Amino acid sequence: MSKKKFNLSDITKSKIFWAVVAELLILLVCLIKRPDFFKISYQPATGMLYGSLIDIINRSAEITIIALGMTLVIALGGTDLSVGALVAVAGAIALKFMRWDVLVYNTPGDYTVKPFALAILVPLFVCVLMGMFNGFLIGVGNIQPIIATLVLMVCGRGVAQIVTNGKQFTTQYSPFRVIGQGHFLALPMPIIITILVIIIMYIFVRKTAFGTFVESVGINRSASRLAGIDATKVIIIVYAITGLLSAISGLIYSSRIMSNDSNNAGLNYEMDAILAVVIGGTNMNGGKFSLAGTVIGSIIIRTIVTFVYYFGIVSEATMAFKALIIAVVIVLQSEPVRNYFSKKFAKNNAVVKGA
Amino acid sequence: MANEYILEMKQIEIQFPGVKALDKVDFNLKPGEVHSLLGENGAGKSTLIKCLTGVNHKDAGTIILDGKEITPTSPQDAIDMGISTVFQEINLCPNLTVAENIFAGRQPMKHGQVNWKEINRRAEELMQRFHMDIDVTRPLYVYSTAVQQMVSIARAVDIQAKILILDEPTSSLDDNEVKLLFDVMRELKAEGMGIIFITHFLDQIYQISDRMTILRNGSLVGSYNIDEISKVELVTLMVGKDMNTIFNLKRADVNPDAPYMLTASHIGIKGSVEDVSISLKKGELMGFAGLLGSGRTETAEMLFGVKATETGEIKKSDQSVSFRQPHDAIANKIAFCPEDRKRDGIIGDLTIRENIALALQARRGFMHPISRKEQDELSDKYIKALGIATPDAEKKIGELSGGNQQKVILARWMATDPDVLILDEPTRGIDVGAKAEIQRLMLEMCKDGQSVIFISSELDEIIRCSNRIEIMRDRKKVAEVNGEGCTQQQILNIIAEGASAAEEVNA
Repeated sequence: MSKKKFNLSDITKSKIFWAVVAELLILLVCLIKRPDFFKISYQPATGMLYGSLIDIINRSAEITIIALGMTLVIALGGTDLSVGALVAVAGAIALKFMRWDVLVYNTPGDYTVKPFALAILVPLFVCVLMGMFNGFLIGVGNIQPIIATLVLMVCGRGVAQIVTNGKQFTTQYSPFRVIGQGHFLALPMPIIITILVIIIMYIFVRKTAFGTFVESVGINRSASRLAGIDATKVIIIVYAITGLLSAISGLIYSSRIMSNDSNNAGLNYEMDAILAVVIGGTNMNGGKFSLAGTVIGSIIIRTIVTFVYYFGIVSEATMAFKALIIAVVIVLQSEPVRNYFSKKFAKNNAVVKGA
Repeated sequence: MANEYILEMKQIEIQFPGVKALDKVDFNLKPGEVHSLLGENGAGKSTLIKCLTGVNHKDAGTIILDGKEITPTSPQDAIDMGISTVFQEINLCPNLTVAENIFAGRQPMKHGQVNWKEINRRAEELMQRFHMDIDVTRPLYVYSTAVQQMVSIARAVDIQAKILILDEPTSSLDDNEVKLLFDVMRELKAEGMGIIFITHFLDQIYQISDRMTILRNGSLVGSYNIDEISKVELVTLMVGKDMNTIFNLKRADVNPDAPYMLTASHIGIKGSVEDVSISLKKGELMGFAGLLGSGRTETAEMLFGVKATETGEIKKSDQSVSFRQPHDAIANKIAFCPEDRKRDGIIGDLTIRENIALALQARRGFMHPISRKEQDELSDKYIKALGIATPDAEKKIGELSGGNQQKVILARWMATDPDVLILDEPTRGIDVGAKAEIQRLMLEMCKDGQSVIFISSELDEIIRCSNRIEIMRDRKKVAEVNGEGCTQQQILNIIAEGASAAEEVNA
């Protein structure tokens, strides 16, 4: 048994396996209902690929990006409720730099602050600071994460309102449009950004020892401290990263609508992000985490939403329907069910070996 | 016979997964006596109390209270039978008034409503009985710990208790408060109540107890009248002569000219440990003896920066250093295996490999990762060197036995190649073989020129391995003796009697 063998019983034990199974099942139902569901077409006019699958991944970008940060937060045994509010903050600040109110100003870009880079960098910077504030409350102040991040969850949208004087700005500034509506290599830009973020995050947490530190602190903070890990620093970095990712997500969102929306931007994102992490197999108690699982979890959530749209489920029932599917996915992943299947497969294996 | 004892516990056995927590223990209590229950941590004191108060359930044996056999199934059940317990940590509600705390859950009623007048009147009466003239309508938190302790005793007594269990009630009290508590205990005793008293302070046992029962490793050592046993004999019985296994271990020789590796002068934290000075030479093994709570662990924690010192100075190789957190100490090549392996040592869900590499990685910082290949080499090396019993390095450390977990933690620190290794009770709760193995490793490290501080409750271990032995008592260092030619009896004398005995040894 020295070599690692392809072992069905081990695979069925893993949570990611069940997340993938759930995703495939939903897609299968979609395919049966609409045979052209998987069809992807290239439109030379726009230079982009179109199709339901592309759309699902494109639309899941905002949640996927945030959920990557949330994965680290949850691995620490925490939660970050402020991510949705930070999405609104990032959008408000970006638009503050680019507002072009057609009624007041005549020339496009009249009110655009140059250089354009500020419209991108300032929101990122502010959200990192806000994330560090969360991390400070939790790491230094020892405040429970759910309470500490509630502060910015509540007041973040207020900050966004103050930044824009309570107004909704719009812009036509085309470089900004690229973020949410542009394309690269025939793929929508949000997908490209998501892939980049995934790669950078993966390198940062798995190619350095940061991921191990996060897991270690999440499993046993006291022992980690005694082993020489600066737990406070790890906590602050993790929340700062989540702040940064919320800002990226916020820029994509506001670029899609070319506007800021302090009330609705990022609404309930914290819940979807937490859900994506949990579906992806990371335990809410902290410890071992899986970035790949989180990405799948986020795509599942978006697939369900698409599913609901496509099948003409009455809009009043949308939320209930979404909840129903999620409940099924989570039950599939629960320990008793996984153990049941794992035992079943183990038995089958044994029979095969015996014969 | 039924009249002589108010409580008889016979042949009590409790089995926890993997260990026999209590093995055929007898305990009895007369009305109107203070009976001390003694033993080191893990000896089974608290298990016995929990069995009596219905928290744990006995697997065999009988409990007879007042001539009737009882089987308490829950703490409330035990209280109803007349067994009251006051725990070390005060479990009252600080935001309720004193009177409310005393009568919570059993308020006197009048016409279907709580009779506040009655509550306050009776509470006041009760507190006055304890010589406490306080306003019972004020919230509990405004009063000192001692008063709060009295309130919880008052509550326990007012429940018409036949037996009162006091579990370390004095650990947070000062001398006057202890005296007050003892007065109250004497009055209760005079009224015929049986009191079970648990404490780590030996002097207090002799002040207040009539009899004592000693437990060790879950077994009964014996019950004695207070005047039939001396403090020295008591400590000997508590600590116990160790196993018959003969280790062929010899303490390492230290070059008398060896430079000092770590010196601490007059370090302390107010209210914890005060004014400890040590000087550790290169290649030396320094033992720390003393009872639990004597300040051994606190001293080690100061040397490792777990708690920052408030007074005094620490020098590492003649350079003054200040440790604000463990990271600082690790950067200075100091390592520390904590006493509570589960809470402060292992990262349960990480693999053996990750646990071994952790401290070295933390010292390097996360931006300079140890490559997977290096990690594998490191863990393979130590799994072999320390004889860690595991199929491979990818097993979670939480799934290993206690002794193997301890070896992994040891490997974690050996991997950092420390100058000074501090081990706090590294041999507790692990089997004899692993114990011998760990002692052998310590001595080998000393031969290689590393210095070791070894804290243990087992004196024979300390004497066998140490070059010098520091003896702690009541949060102070009371003596330093040479490991060569010193006997268990001498150390027990110092632990029991304090510095006066130390002078005789050194004379």
